[in-house]
Amino acid sequence: MKRILPFLIILSVLGVALGSAWYLKRSSTANPAPPAADSPRPTTPALIAPGAEPPQTSGPATAPVKIEEFGDFECPPCGQFHPILKKMQEEFDKNLQVTFREFPIVQMHHHALAAASSAEAAGLQGKFWEMHHLLYDNQKAWHEQFDVRPIFEGYAKQIGLDVEQFKRDINSDLVARRITEDGKRARSLGVNGTPTVFMNGREMPFEVIINEAKLRAAIKAEIESAKR
Amino acid sequence: MSQQVADATDKQVPTHSSSPTKRSTYIYAAVAVISLLGLADATYLTIEHVTGQSVRCTIIAGCSEVLSSQYAVVGGMPLAMIGAGAYFTVFALGTLAAFGYKITGALLNLLVAAMVVVSLWLVYLQAFVIRSFCQYCLFSAAITLALATLLLIRWRKP
Repeated sequence: MKRILPFLIILSVLGVALGSAWYLKRSSTANPAPPAADSPRPTTPALIAPGAEPPQTSGPATAPVKIEEFGDFECPPCGQFHPILKKMQEEFDKNLQVTFREFPIVQMHHHALAAASSAEAAGLQGKFWEMHHLLYDNQKAWHEQFDVRPIFEGYAKQIGLDVEQFKRDINSDLVARRITEDGKRARSLGVNGTPTVFMNGREMPFEVIINEAKLRAAIKAEIESAKR
Repeated sequence: MSQQVADATDKQVPTHSSSPTKRSTYIYAAVAVISLLGLADATYLTIEHVTGQSVRCTIIAGCSEVLSSQYAVVGGMPLAMIGAGAYFTVFALGTLAAFGYKITGALLNLLVAAMVVVSLWLVYLQAFVIRSFCQYCLFSAAITLALATLLLIRWRKP
C-alpha cells in the first residue's frame, strides 16, 4: 500500500487540478441566465443604477438587439473591440442599438479620464460618437503622449466643435457627473474591467465579443429570438 | 554529485526525530505542499488566458499588460500552462521523494533550479521590458524561490 500511496496522491491532485480548471473555465465563459421578459436586467432592476441620462446611444430604440458597452478609451482590448462593434453596427443597422458607458480605469491608464471627459464634452455639442471613433481609431497615437490635451483639442477642431466651449466642458461638473453616473451603473452591474458588454441585459463572454464571427452569430441569434 | 553525497549522508545517520532522513522527508513534503499553491496560481492564470479574460483591462488584477504581452505565450502555448505543468511535476517529484524514491530528489533539484532561472527572467521582463507587474506572476516567482530555499536547506549538511 505504501508503494502505491504516493501515486494515488499524485493522481488525486491531478484530478482536482483538472476538475478545478474545467470548473473555472466553465464559470468564466458561462452566460448568466437570460432575464425575464419584463425585466431588462439580469438582477433586480431596483438595485441597478441607471447611468448617465440621457445615455450615449447609437441606433434606434426599437432595435431588437441592444448592446451596452462599458469602455475605457485607453484600454487596448477596447480599441480592438471598437472596429468589430463598428462593423456590426454597419451590418445590422436598424436591428442594433449601441450604448456606450464610461468606465475609465484611472489606476492603470493615465489619460483614460481625460479621454472620457473629451468624449462626453463632445457629446454636449452632439458629437459624442465622432469623438468616440477618433479616440479609439487613434488610441495608439495618444496613449503614450505626456500631455493629451492639445491632441484631444485637435480632434475637437477636426469634428467641427466649438473648441473653446469644448475646453470649458471638459472640466465641467456636468461631464464629471455623467462619468460618475456611468461608474455607479458599472459597479451596480458588477463590472470590473473593460470592455464589458451586455447584450439585451446579458453579459457577453470576452471571447465572444472579441471574435467577429462569434459576435455576429450571437447578434443573429438575438434577432431570431426576438422574431419568435 | 552533491545530491548523491547528501543522500548518502542521509542513509548513514540513524532515524530519529531530527535525523537528516526524516528532515529530508519533511522538506520534500513541504515542497510538495507549497508546489500546490503554485499549481493553483498557474491553473487560474491558464484559465484566464484561455478564456481571454486576462487580456481585458481590469480594476482588480492589473495583470492585463503582462498577460497580454508577447512573453505570455511560448511556442503557441500559454506560459501559465507550462508553469502549471512544472508545478505539478514538482508536486509529483516531491511526493515521490518524500516517500523515499531517491532519484526523484535529483530531478526535483534540476527542475526547481530551471524554474528559478525562468522566474528571475520573467521578473526582469516585468520590471524592465513590460514595465508592469502582475501579482499572480510575482506570487509564482515567490513560490519558486520558496521551493528553491527549501531544497537548499535540505542540501546543506546538518
